[in-house]
Amino acid sequence: MSNVGGWLVGKTVRRGGVNPAGAHSSRSNTPQVQSTSTTVFGGGVKDASGRTTEFFSMDDQCPVCRSDRYLNPKLRLLVSSCYHKMCESCIDRLFTLGPAPCPICQKVLRKLAFMPQTFEDLTVEKEVAVRRRIAKEFNKRREDFPDLRSYNDYLEEVEVITFNLINEINIPETEARIEAYRKENAALIELNVRREEQYTQELKQQEEQERLEREQRAQEARRLEELEREEKEKGRREIIDRLETSTKDATEIIAKSRAEATKRAASRAVATTTFKSSAQLLRSRAAQSTTIPDVPHVPLQDDWYAYEDMYTKLDRYDDMYSEAVRQDQEGIMKAGGYKVEEAWERALRSAVTALFLPPLSDPENSLTFPPENDAALAQL
Amino acid sequence: MDAVEKANAEKQRRWVKDQKVGEGTYAVVYRGREAATGRRVAIKKIKVGQFKDGLDMSAIREVKYLRELHHQNVIELLDVFSSKTNLNLVLEFLDSDLEMIIKDRSLVFLPADIKSWMAMTFRGLEFCHRNFILHRDLKPNNLLVASDGQLKLADFGLARDFADPGYKMTSQVITRWYRPPELLFGCRYYSSTVDIWSVGCIFAELMLRTPYLPGETDMDQLRTIFRALGTPTEEDWPGHTKLPDYVPVGQFPKTPLRDLFTAASGDALNLLSRCLVYEPGRRITALEALHHPYFTGLPYPTHPSKLPRPASRTPRPLEEVDGNVDMANTGPGVKAAAPNRLKRKLSSPMEGLRPLARRLDFTQHKGS
Repeated sequence: MSNVGGWLVGKTVRRGGVNPAGAHSSRSNTPQVQSTSTTVFGGGVKDASGRTTEFFSMDDQCPVCRSDRYLNPKLRLLVSSCYHKMCESCIDRLFTLGPAPCPICQKVLRKLAFMPQTFEDLTVEKEVAVRRRIAKEFNKRREDFPDLRSYNDYLEEVEVITFNLINEINIPETEARIEAYRKENAALIELNVRREEQYTQELKQQEEQERLEREQRAQEARRLEELEREEKEKGRREIIDRLETSTKDATEIIAKSRAEATKRAASRAVATTTFKSSAQLLRSRAAQSTTIPDVPHVPLQDDWYAYEDMYTKLDRYDDMYSEAVRQDQEGIMKAGGYKVEEAWERALRSAVTALFLPPLSDPENSLTFPPENDAALAQL
Repeated sequence: MDAVEKANAEKQRRWVKDQKVGEGTYAVVYRGREAATGRRVAIKKIKVGQFKDGLDMSAIREVKYLRELHHQNVIELLDVFSSKTNLNLVLEFLDSDLEMIIKDRSLVFLPADIKSWMAMTFRGLEFCHRNFILHRDLKPNNLLVASDGQLKLADFGLARDFADPGYKMTSQVITRWYRPPELLFGCRYYSSTVDIWSVGCIFAELMLRTPYLPGETDMDQLRTIFRALGTPTEEDWPGHTKLPDYVPVGQFPKTPLRDLFTAASGDALNLLSRCLVYEPGRRITALEALHHPYFTGLPYPTHPSKLPRPASRTPRPLEEVDGNVDMANTGPGVKAAAPNRLKRKLSSPMEGLRPLARRLDFTQHKGS
């Protein structure tokens, strides 16, 4: 069963029964893998590409009709819901006329409930199926629990239920437990299903992006290589030309050209190393974004406007200082955006600012008020 | 040693100057730290005596406004002291600016990141405007980013307080690409709305990752604006033909912003279009902008600590400290001044002097 582990980590592994006798030299007992899509029968375990890999061995024999691959090269064994194997012709013969008892254990079966076999060992097949069923509903995560302890308790319970189902211990009671759990956690289950979907989708996108990037990089690399070759060729020709025309020492000319070439190559290398795809950068941004939450916009972060102004501003003032604005016949000031209201506002605000602040009494921070401020207070 | 000198010497001892990181026409910038705590700061040493009229205008402006402005999104002036004949400004140390971030192609911006930067910009600007101060040089290069991601308005060398009615201001302010059309038409009476136009340009630049209205000359700037947003009619902008330097620069049709900003949300485009309104009086104010649905809608603005930051800590800091430090990457013609002149020198020297004379009296200092 060593190859099952290989399958679990997602590699495609050729697997099949190794003949325990190992002596059937007359025909190949090499295990073979046969891929089919799961159209009729459902079940089975899908591999990364979404296909079901069916278990297949030269030593297959139908336990019901005893026909084997030697008699029937097209023999295909399927597994019932009670985990007994039989060949397609037996299934046709027994179940075409409706549900009938299993010839081995007498459990009532239907034709459509047969599935292709993925693992050599049917107990593994069963365990995988049970675990898959359980995982659909028992999909809580660590985040859903307040502490590690309760999460571990939950995992323990899941394991007990799984064990019971696999070994058919206390089936009605276990089913009742599952049902109770389902009712209790309906919303959370739904949520986790959606989370899972989202996660797989993201994973898919990421893979796609990475593939594109790889392609792009490969293309870039090819282009650079091409460029480099051209440049080398050009350099060589240049050296020859120079040697032809110049009267200088040959070694000097060659050394000079070489130096130039290495300089160019170095600058190219720098340009390529700084290249980092935007997708990669975006991903690193996204990973960072969960650490500190973004908060909604607060227009102002001080309480400047929280105070009530103790004065009312009029629409216009007839003061001598804004005479110039009134005389602006052509509207030049208005066209430039000058606002006399701002000047009024400023004058008013500076006149009343801090008028009602009590003088500081703390002797350590002795800040004396200028006398004119006292005078202003007295005038009020 | 009198009390003032003693206080100054004490202040001077509080800060340690480290290596020089940049030099401009009127200032040298050092990296420094606080002697007691080791906190990193930037020290900007202003050369005095090179200018006939004493201190450079922008230094005065910077001190004058930063002394009073304390806000999370405005650079903090920690201290001012003099050494020999020089004036030293101790500023908060900020290691990157928005321009570096925009230019770093290895960074990816999410819509939420742009929202976060815009919110911080508007908050800082709203704070200036509520205190009746115009920044007048907003550009990505002057929006610095602290190590915790907070964006801060810096370079108050062109800032001034709101003008009193009838007082002229110079129209030669704001780096050209971010300069509103009324200033290009030479208008001398304007208000906080000039800053809003700049913020609109920065917003567009954040989305495009390239300057939105890169005019090559002042004339070309107008043409670039009109090409992008359509030539304004008398209805769009009443009275603009009467502005001092008005010249017709050709008719361009209006194209919907959507054509260029294909990926932007409707709310984002609405806010952008409200920043880039031709008639200055109808532009959105910073306070209104902060309540715009763009900010309240989803996605939430990115938490400042998660905003993208340039990975390589290239020693190109403290530009804040000085827009005049000549950075090789700021192409000619980007600044408000002619290429080889420095923009700060361009603001007319008389302008803004009136309020200064009242409050900052340097004669005493000289005499002592």
